[in-house]
Amino acid sequence: MVSIMGSSGSGKSTLLNILGLLDGYDSGEYLLAGESMMGLNERNAAKYRSRFLGFVFQSFNLVGFKTAMENVALPLYYQGVSRRERNKRALNYLKKVGLLDWAEHLPNQLSGGQKQRVAIARALVGKPKVILADEPTGALDSKTSYEVMELLRELNNEGITMVVVTHEQDIAEMCDRIIKIHDGQIANV
Amino acid sequence: MFNRDTWLEIAHTVLSHPLRTALTGVSIALGVFILVVMQGLGFGLQNGVENQFADDAVNSIWVQTGRTQLAYKGRQANKQVKIKENDVEALFAEMDTVYSFSRRIRKWGVQMEHGDQVGSYAVRGVDPDHQMLENTKIIDGRYINQRDVDEETKVVVLGQTIIDEVYKGENPLGTHLTVGGVLFSVVGTFNDPASRWENKMAVVPYSTAKKLFRGGRDKVDQVILGTGDMEIANTITLTDRLLGWMKERKSVHPEDARGVWMENNNEEYQKYQNIFLGIELFIWGIGLLTLLAGAVGVANILAIAVKERTKEIGVRKALGATSISIVGLVVQESLALMLVSGCLGLVLGVGLLEVVSPFVDHEYFQNPQVDFRIALVALGVLSVVGVVSGIGPAIRAVSIRPVEALRDE
Repeated sequence: MVSIMGSSGSGKSTLLNILGLLDGYDSGEYLLAGESMMGLNERNAAKYRSRFLGFVFQSFNLVGFKTAMENVALPLYYQGVSRRERNKRALNYLKKVGLLDWAEHLPNQLSGGQKQRVAIARALVGKPKVILADEPTGALDSKTSYEVMELLRELNNEGITMVVVTHEQDIAEMCDRIIKIHDGQIANV
Repeated sequence: MFNRDTWLEIAHTVLSHPLRTALTGVSIALGVFILVVMQGLGFGLQNGVENQFADDAVNSIWVQTGRTQLAYKGRQANKQVKIKENDVEALFAEMDTVYSFSRRIRKWGVQMEHGDQVGSYAVRGVDPDHQMLENTKIIDGRYINQRDVDEETKVVVLGQTIIDEVYKGENPLGTHLTVGGVLFSVVGTFNDPASRWENKMAVVPYSTAKKLFRGGRDKVDQVILGTGDMEIANTITLTDRLLGWMKERKSVHPEDARGVWMENNNEEYQKYQNIFLGIELFIWGIGLLTLLAGAVGVANILAIAVKERTKEIGVRKALGATSISIVGLVVQESLALMLVSGCLGLVLGVGLLEVVSPFVDHEYFQNPQVDFRIALVALGVLSVVGVVSGIGPAIRAVSIRPVEALRDE
């Protein structure tokens, strides 16, 4: 469990986007599951994303017109999993984040912490090796923030790598390692 | 790409945005509706006018005479020109081929009696080809034949109106009818739906009419010439040539428009066909432009929708969607919307025409309908428009990098 810190514009989100294969890179090397991600085409990037990576965003980014369960099931849709199987697995993960009773709710019927937990369930459903979290607690109060970090912590203990971008010192300190970025350079590990 | 899951996804997206869907759907449905209704109206107009022509054979030239307007070759003006039988024979000699012909004698107000029923109708003396040249539909029995003309038989073919008024439901075939005081046998009945006028006629052999109603006087009121399968351009030169020749023969001034005149139905028909072509192009133009206006509206709505969905699309990409699957989603969405609302407009338009059609009966406007081909063309145009108007916003959608899409404002 790693946290990345830095002031705004320092390049931490760019790093996260490169790690998340949402953006390309020009120099250096990025190995994911032992393979170089240099010059990856769209289709392969999408494939690696769905196989190895899960995303958690500051503003949750749930699809507004889909229920919690459908949101969680969305990555599986792009993996070509059947509808029945998708929904079954989605419910499993909602249970894991403690939101089974809210499965049929739309995002705007959920609180911030609940939304973020749905987003985490969605990141988990594809069984990723790495979860990339961009300011996961940025929109939450401190009590909920700690709850979410606890959840991420637990998942880390189950063997999923966590990369958490944050600018809150106390959140960063809940991680095993802190990487500080300054003007695009790693300043402090 | 075309599996059930994809369609469920599309249906979900479309139905989750009722206002957007309704706006798009209505603009397209309206476009198709207008196209269909305009087509139906155009078709009705065409049917009506074409029916006017169904009265007479299209491939025919009609020769008639009247009073001269100009003095010529020492003759005074205002002289009645008469066509004699030998003029007709000379006219045939002037033509390369006589495809078909009929002389015509008219007699108005002839009293007809059957039993105690009496009525006054017109009588026509004709040659056998008259049936084809006048487009007469025989209902029962037969028409005048060559033997009738050669032997001056006293047979008569009756129009529908006379049958209705004099026979009142009785079968006239084989009965006798007193026409102008002479007993005729009824050999046939006809109905000319395109002309109510024609149905008030009794048709007898030319020679019989000449003898009984003209006292054997040699005067042909009208000559009809069939032009068979001649090219229209050739019929026009033929008409010009025959007219010049006829005027010369009857000593009518070449500039005189009333003394002798000929009407070429080929030419008239062609003129109307050109008008129809014009009307048809006009209607298609309006319909397609309406459709285009609808499509522009749809493209506009889709563009806004994509902007609205920037985040959603970013999320989908982050969750493993490929660019192709997103373009597919947006294009299929617009296509589905277009086809569904297009079909709706089509059904409404056709429905309106079907409902209205039975109540519409005017000489120049009959039977408004839409050709099935037109419906197909409209649907084809819609699908193309659907794909084209979906592609622009879709490409914009995938060119948005998820990085930016997911950034908070």
